[in-house]
Amino acid sequence: MTNPYIPLLIMGGLALLLGVGGLAASAVIGPKRYNKIKVDAYECGIQPSPHSIGAGRFPIKYYIVAMTFIIFDIEVVFLYPWAVSFAELAGFGLIAMFGFLFLITVPFVYEWRRGGLDWD
Amino acid sequence: MPTQFADLPWLTILIVVPTVVAALIWLVKPLRRAARPIGLATSVLVLIGVALMAGAFETADAAEVQFTQTVDWISAIGASYAVGVDGMGLTLVALAALLVPVVLIAGWNEVTLPSGIAADRAEDSLAYRRAGFVSLVLVLESLMIAIFAAQDLFLFYVIFEAMLIPVYFLIGVYGGPNRRGAALKFLLYSLAGGLVMLAGVIAVYFQTDGGPGTYLLANLGDIASDNPTLQMWLFLSFFIAFAVKAPMFPVHTWLPDAAAQATPGTSTLLVGVLDKVGTFGMIAICLPLFPGAAATAAPVIIVLAIISIIYGGLVAIGQNDLMRMIAFSSVSHFGFIVMGVFVGTQTAMVGAMLYMVAHGVTIAALFLISGFLTQRGGSQDMRTYSGMQRVTRVLAGTWLFAGLASLALPGLSGFVPEYLVLIGSFEAHWAYGAFAVIGVVLSALYILLAYQRVFTGPVPEAGAPVELTGEALDVPDRAGLKDLTGREKWAIVPLALVVLFLGLYPAPVLELLSGVADQFAAILGSAS
Amino acid sequence: MNQFVPPEIDWAALSPVLIVLGLAVVGVLVEAFVPMRARRATQVVLAVVGVGAALVAVAWRWVVVQDEGPTAVVAGALREDAPALLAQAILLVCAFVGLLVIADRSSGEDAFAPAAAAIPGSAYEAEARKAGLAQTEVFPLTMFAVGGMLVFPAAADLLTLFIALEVLSLPLYLLAGLARRRRLLSQEASLKYFLLGAFSSAFFLMGIALLYGYSGSVRFDELATAVPATSGLDGMLLAGVLLVIVGLLFKVGAVPFHSWVPDVYQGAPTPITGFMAACTKIAAFAALLRFVYVVVPGLQWDLTVALWVIAILTMIVGTVLAVVQTDMKRMLAYSSVAHAGFLLLGVIALVPSGISSVLFYLLAYGLATVGAFGLLTLVRERDADGNVTGEALHLSQWAGLGRRHPVLAVCFTLFLISFAGIPLTGGFIGKFLVFGAAIEGGAWPLVVIAVLASAAAAFFYVRVIVLMFFTEPAGTDADPGTTVVRTEGLTAVAVVVCAIGTVLLGVLPGPILDLTASATKFML
Repeated sequence: MTNPYIPLLIMGGLALLLGVGGLAASAVIGPKRYNKIKVDAYECGIQPSPHSIGAGRFPIKYYIVAMTFIIFDIEVVFLYPWAVSFAELAGFGLIAMFGFLFLITVPFVYEWRRGGLDWD
Repeated sequence: MPTQFADLPWLTILIVVPTVVAALIWLVKPLRRAARPIGLATSVLVLIGVALMAGAFETADAAEVQFTQTVDWISAIGASYAVGVDGMGLTLVALAALLVPVVLIAGWNEVTLPSGIAADRAEDSLAYRRAGFVSLVLVLESLMIAIFAAQDLFLFYVIFEAMLIPVYFLIGVYGGPNRRGAALKFLLYSLAGGLVMLAGVIAVYFQTDGGPGTYLLANLGDIASDNPTLQMWLFLSFFIAFAVKAPMFPVHTWLPDAAAQATPGTSTLLVGVLDKVGTFGMIAICLPLFPGAAATAAPVIIVLAIISIIYGGLVAIGQNDLMRMIAFSSVSHFGFIVMGVFVGTQTAMVGAMLYMVAHGVTIAALFLISGFLTQRGGSQDMRTYSGMQRVTRVLAGTWLFAGLASLALPGLSGFVPEYLVLIGSFEAHWAYGAFAVIGVVLSALYILLAYQRVFTGPVPEAGAPVELTGEALDVPDRAGLKDLTGREKWAIVPLALVVLFLGLYPAPVLELLSGVADQFAAILGSAS
Repeated sequence: MNQFVPPEIDWAALSPVLIVLGLAVVGVLVEAFVPMRARRATQVVLAVVGVGAALVAVAWRWVVVQDEGPTAVVAGALREDAPALLAQAILLVCAFVGLLVIADRSSGEDAFAPAAAAIPGSAYEAEARKAGLAQTEVFPLTMFAVGGMLVFPAAADLLTLFIALEVLSLPLYLLAGLARRRRLLSQEASLKYFLLGAFSSAFFLMGIALLYGYSGSVRFDELATAVPATSGLDGMLLAGVLLVIVGLLFKVGAVPFHSWVPDVYQGAPTPITGFMAACTKIAAFAALLRFVYVVVPGLQWDLTVALWVIAILTMIVGTVLAVVQTDMKRMLAYSSVAHAGFLLLGVIALVPSGISSVLFYLLAYGLATVGAFGLLTLVRERDADGNVTGEALHLSQWAGLGRRHPVLAVCFTLFLISFAGIPLTGGFIGKFLVFGAAIEGGAWPLVVIAVLASAAAAFFYVRVIVLMFFTEPAGTDADPGTTVVRTEGLTAVAVVVCAIGTVLLGVLPGPILDLTASATKFML
């Protein structure tokens, strides 16, 4: 019987080949045309604004909005299936969901009290 | 003696008292100023305690372990706090208890301030440093007594390792200019040896049935007797640690550095008592636990011992540093002891045991008197001295006395044990004895040559440079050196008395040792 | 369709976790509602009381479990058995002393950035500092981490284990970036820890997926019964087990998954480093023990090679690299890597005494670690004006400390010799037990290597002792360069507790050994 580690080794080797090979191939045969937009850092939404030392706080408003969205997004993701099988889950489900809602509310309250919801 | 007197937990008291006093001296500020007298008083009390204990010791049953006390300590791993002494343990405990007050008296003013301390704090700092020295010596005394009294393998190992710490600080804080390197070398050597022994200690556990009391020496005997290979490995794990400690060729190289850099007092305790732990362990642990392996390995060990004897003697002759010379002479003497242990005759064994005590006393005298000289002269280099017997008469006389005891002049302490070891070796094999005799000649050479270089000849004139290889030193005023003070004389007197006693009338000590020696020699004899 | 059956929840068994996480939630609300002046005091009290109460709860559960035997909790997601409770108790003890160090404000400032969102070195940051702002969120974050760690040793299915892993890791990623000084280093540490942590979580999840694919279950007991049923070898099973172990080994910092350790230990605020070094290791090793001892025995022969190689590498790399470090925190970091290697010996042994010996070792190591890092927070630099600034972490700055501050130096020496495993300290007994378990398990070549590594490791511990006691201080008496700040008292308490604990574990380990001796079997 062959050594059971051999498939594992082959898999690792293939993964390495794929990763390095892909990079190498694009470096060798890919066309290279640089312009300003191409070498810019890619970031979704806002233009990244570089800030120098001593520039105070950096704006993280979008991040806060994004995180607040995630809080409620996850909440909804859980609420839908719960609502669908509400009857079956019965009392246990109700209590668990209230616990979940409470825990979701706590960071939201924190955010609100500490000024996370103020735009300026 | 009334029985209650002998029933007191003597050993535990003797172990605990110095440590407690050491902690008090170090921690309680007002006591620091009086650290030296308190320390001395404590060590004298301990000495008296040991003397009383020796009085209550049943000499007729010297081979039996007496004053025993056994308490479960860590029952989960079978370790107990078990102490007790047989004749050999008692003599070594007595040796430790004798040397500590001597060292404290001799080193009364040894501890000085390093540079860079502001004047207003100098007094406090000095008191603090002295208190530290006395505390460490007292802690060491506790551990020395404990290790010779340990009747549990685990306890023995714990103390064996714990001892490193006070010695390490004694060398590293209070030693000479290269003290850091020497202390580190000492620690790493010993720790490496100790960890190898740890593996052995753990492995021994799995060769037993486990349970409380597993590690009691009384319950251990002939470990892994059905598996000679395993027993040899276990034997080696212990023997290497003891050989480093002893120190035997080829693992002796830490000793000359440590002895040259430590204060004379520390060297005295280190070579006089601590190194005996190595040979003590070979006898009390290696022989009964691994008799077969010990018998198998004995020829190789004896060869190494003979190399130690001759090599140590030859290198001692070539030394310029007085302390290193004495250290190498000890390597040679330890060769004798190890040989006496492993040749397997009763005569050699009793000789080796007596040798441990005798060597402890003479080496103490040599180190301390040499220390008095080198502190006066400000150098350990023998080439910077000459004709000192005209300047410091008493010092020269006592040094010669100690030296003669060391080279085994009949009538002094070195003679009887060396004679016994040689006789015993000849009994076993003529070649052992023949080679070992070379050591006797060498010891006469290195002692007398050193005496000649340092104490005879003309007194050098102050300021005249001495030709040393590569460097010229301005010799300070040698003619103006003071002879021994009263305090220093008092430190040497007890040692001189013991040297004479062991040389002229060793019978009481031999009586203590011969029963034990019979027992251990028989183990080796029956196994081979 | 299966009828839904609500799980039985034994709230009492969950009480330690609930207390800690509940108070962490309360801590968030405190941040929201309590005025700034009172916030710190409230948070400190909440955290200390919470951890203390959890410890009491664990002790109570210990008694119950001793009487009634171990149980499965929350539909089998957790196990309440002796090893789990003991690991939790050890964890809470270390977290308690760790919290004291975190809460301490030596020289009037805590160890954390006044406003973590400020750009390092900006005027805003200086202003926040002047205004005495404090990021008291540190305390609820620490409590969340402790909560996750408490679940870790008890988790009996892979998903619970994964969630606990994230709950304990996420707060730590954040805490690592909050150092008051050397902000950039700290933020770098935080980012590195997060990225590599996420990387290891991916490994872990992949492993769970493979194991689920193999056995159709994520529960340890079902995995354990599925393993011997395999005829021959199953690549999926082996790969899955290995990936899960890799995820756990990342947390304990075993080579080759250790690369984050020195950077994160160095960059994180020192009290957090101490807390993290001790508690994460305890939690992760307890979980690793359960996984290996419950699931892996059937796979012993296939996994031994990998685990041996990792243990050997960990011991050697940790020791060798620690020798060349000149920064205290990095040296302790590599030393903790080496300790992970020693602990692995107990895991590999696969004998009952392996569990108890690892737990004892963790307690001894945890106390010494929290104590040592606690002392690091007190030794500071001074700038030209004599103001106390950051910690003096370069080895040379510790020269001669023993002369000026003997008590501090003696405590530090004690922790170092416990790390080195010299007798009469807890570290020695720990090493003794772990090596003993390894010999019992037949791994004696590993023990030989471990003994040699211990001897080499002694070198760098001793070097620090040499520096503190035998070396002349760099500065003069008037301007020592390095200074020791007064604590509020909390760090002093923590250090003294750790020191006493270290000595007691070495001199009178009997009672603790009796406790660990009853924790030799995981409930299936």
